[in-house]
Amino acid sequence: MARVVVDPVTRIEGHLRIEAEVDAGVVRDAWSSSTMFRGIELILKGRDPRDAWAFTQRICGVCTTVHAVASIRAVENAIGAAPPPNARLLRNLIIGAQAVQDHVIHFYHLHALDWVDIVSALAADPAKTSSLAQSISDWPLSSPTYFAGIRDRVKGFVDRGQLGPFANAYWGHPAYRLPPEANLMAVAHYLEALDWQREVIKMHAVLGGKNPHLQSFLVGGMATPVDPDSQAALNAGTIAELQRLVAKARDFVTRVYIPDLVAVASFYKDWAGHGRGVGNYLAYGEYPNDDSAAPALFLPRGVIRGRDLAAVEPFDPAKVTEYVAHSWYQYQQGDGAALHPYQGETSPAYTGPTPPYDLLGLDSDTDKKYSWLKSPRYDGLPMEVGPLARMLVAYASGHARVKALVGAVLTRLGVGPEALFSTLGRVAARGIETQVLAEKMADWVDGLAANMAAGDLRIHDNSKWDPASWPAEAMGAGFHEAPRGALGHWVSIRNGAIDNYQCVVPSTWNAGPRDAKGQRGPYEEALIGTPVADLGRPVEILRTVHSFDPCMACGVHVVDGRRREVAHVRVR
Amino acid sequence: MSEERTPLLVLGLGNVLLEDDGVGAAAVSLLLDRYDVPPEARVLDGGTLGLSLLPCLEGADAVILVDAVRADLAPGTFVRLDGDAVPPAVAGRLSPHQVGVADLLDGARWLGRYPRRLVLVGLVPASMDLAVGLSPAVRASLPELVERIAGEARALGVVFRPKTAGTEPAVGPHVDVARLARGQP
Repeated sequence: MARVVVDPVTRIEGHLRIEAEVDAGVVRDAWSSSTMFRGIELILKGRDPRDAWAFTQRICGVCTTVHAVASIRAVENAIGAAPPPNARLLRNLIIGAQAVQDHVIHFYHLHALDWVDIVSALAADPAKTSSLAQSISDWPLSSPTYFAGIRDRVKGFVDRGQLGPFANAYWGHPAYRLPPEANLMAVAHYLEALDWQREVIKMHAVLGGKNPHLQSFLVGGMATPVDPDSQAALNAGTIAELQRLVAKARDFVTRVYIPDLVAVASFYKDWAGHGRGVGNYLAYGEYPNDDSAAPALFLPRGVIRGRDLAAVEPFDPAKVTEYVAHSWYQYQQGDGAALHPYQGETSPAYTGPTPPYDLLGLDSDTDKKYSWLKSPRYDGLPMEVGPLARMLVAYASGHARVKALVGAVLTRLGVGPEALFSTLGRVAARGIETQVLAEKMADWVDGLAANMAAGDLRIHDNSKWDPASWPAEAMGAGFHEAPRGALGHWVSIRNGAIDNYQCVVPSTWNAGPRDAKGQRGPYEEALIGTPVADLGRPVEILRTVHSFDPCMACGVHVVDGRRREVAHVRVR
Repeated sequence: MSEERTPLLVLGLGNVLLEDDGVGAAAVSLLLDRYDVPPEARVLDGGTLGLSLLPCLEGADAVILVDAVRADLAPGTFVRLDGDAVPPAVAGRLSPHQVGVADLLDGARWLGRYPRRLVLVGLVPASMDLAVGLSPAVRASLPELVERIAGEARALGVVFRPKTAGTEPAVGPHVDVARLARGQP
């Protein structure tokens, strides 16, 4: 019998690679590279624009909803379809549930491992852990017996070598600062969050059918029937179930996530001084409050330059462009050009080293191409997108609830607003946004119930469904705030078929390479000045990269000042 | 994603935009075309949703994962992994959100809801480049894979009965991405 070697099939949608140059324990320069071509645009050309969402929703494995939302909005914008109020409310709920679940998963299941030492939890005293937990929250799962049980469970997995998600981290690294009891509490909440997220995402099952991929999107509205008298539709029973799930989501966020966030952050306040980044922030805004063509948004749209919270600029879609000077693409008019997405071109031209390779061979003023991501710019400037951008734009725009929560967290940590422009600021902003959304979702459920009670069961505008009702040529843009930031789709339609399609995704804004002027992207800029205690275990670099919530698996390379590669780490 | 327990879950995995990586979705789609799903089974296209599939997985006593499997064998070759051989095979997988099948299985284990029986069946991919539809080698083996899934189910005590001739395959509204992965628009 022949021996069969079985490798994992690498489910890569883009593998992020960071090369960092470290001198005297500090990052001096950094390069962010995506090693996989994404060319969804090429798949969509010639297809029916009403089907585009079903393809784009598979771009990102976990955010199944976000590309669907951006896509239907872009096509609706192009053909002039106007979704009715129930469709808006259902979409807001789907988007909100996605964001809340995603943020909590990020905190507990990805980012926490950069701050929490799971193995140290084995040394914790359950009684002291209980006192700690009860000092920060009235969450009922906090007895010494409960924490002793969690500790024994972790010990069992460690003893059997089944560490699973915790297997490959840097346990014992000096950069971990939590006492054992805080670590044990965090592990307990890691497991509770795993259980909790199943409940939250049930909102999607309620709104989008039993299939794990939502099937209920439709250009012009939604495909979910709303009818209080039908068992097969969104009805009074569904409303009650949504209310239950929303309450459960809010309860955990308020009583576990936020107290944990503040508790962990209080041990890492120096991280308010690291990871500053480009200091320009872009938010498309999200959660329309009305059904007009330019609706008021619950989280506002806007641009902040140079960390100036005194002035939020209005967003002008014409100012979005993409460079390919350092990206493995060609532009017809030359690679120094900056193209608006409507004129966007996706012509791959790989010039990098043949894999596998150790280093990309870059220096600070490199003119090489080194990433499959383009470099999006707004008015020529790199922009950070994501929860921090959204919360800063909301804060600076006077959003009452955001201002109150930001103020409360800053006060609890004893830091000023300037602390927001940092790695820790990104972590805090994500939590604050989760709280704001978990509170807001109940309003959208109530809105649906009120419409039903008033007899408004409309869910779809089918006046533009027939392509015969479209102009021969149409263009549209769809803007959405995905959990990790501003997402835009631009579609050009000719004779009923897609002529051009461009997606500018959050991780392209944040993880993109330098542009034609040599300006670093947000990841690259944020890493400058990051301390690295142990070149072989660069957990500090991960903290800053993960604070952006990258949508790609990440490998990190550390290079010392003499350009010798000293560490090549594939991370979790 | 219901709460009820299911004796058997057939879960297709993979990304339909990456050519043969869509084999899990395509197999699930063809299985649904050819067979009636018995009440004690659920058949789902799980895509690359990772941890979000936990509610589906944990309600099942037995799970058949259907996926592309890289191996030193000709493209289209059938591969089967059983029980403890499954987690290592999916461990190195990188998912967009760094949460993949391995994390799904780990999560179920940590919560004490790991399936009683776990089998992974699949085909060796020829290509996982960006494209919709399967390569010829994998497409040719797809019917065999579907029969193997039905056979695995039978071995677990769940019988899928072939649809009677002339039954119309179920087609989703407007576009069915899983059918497209099979190369059938």
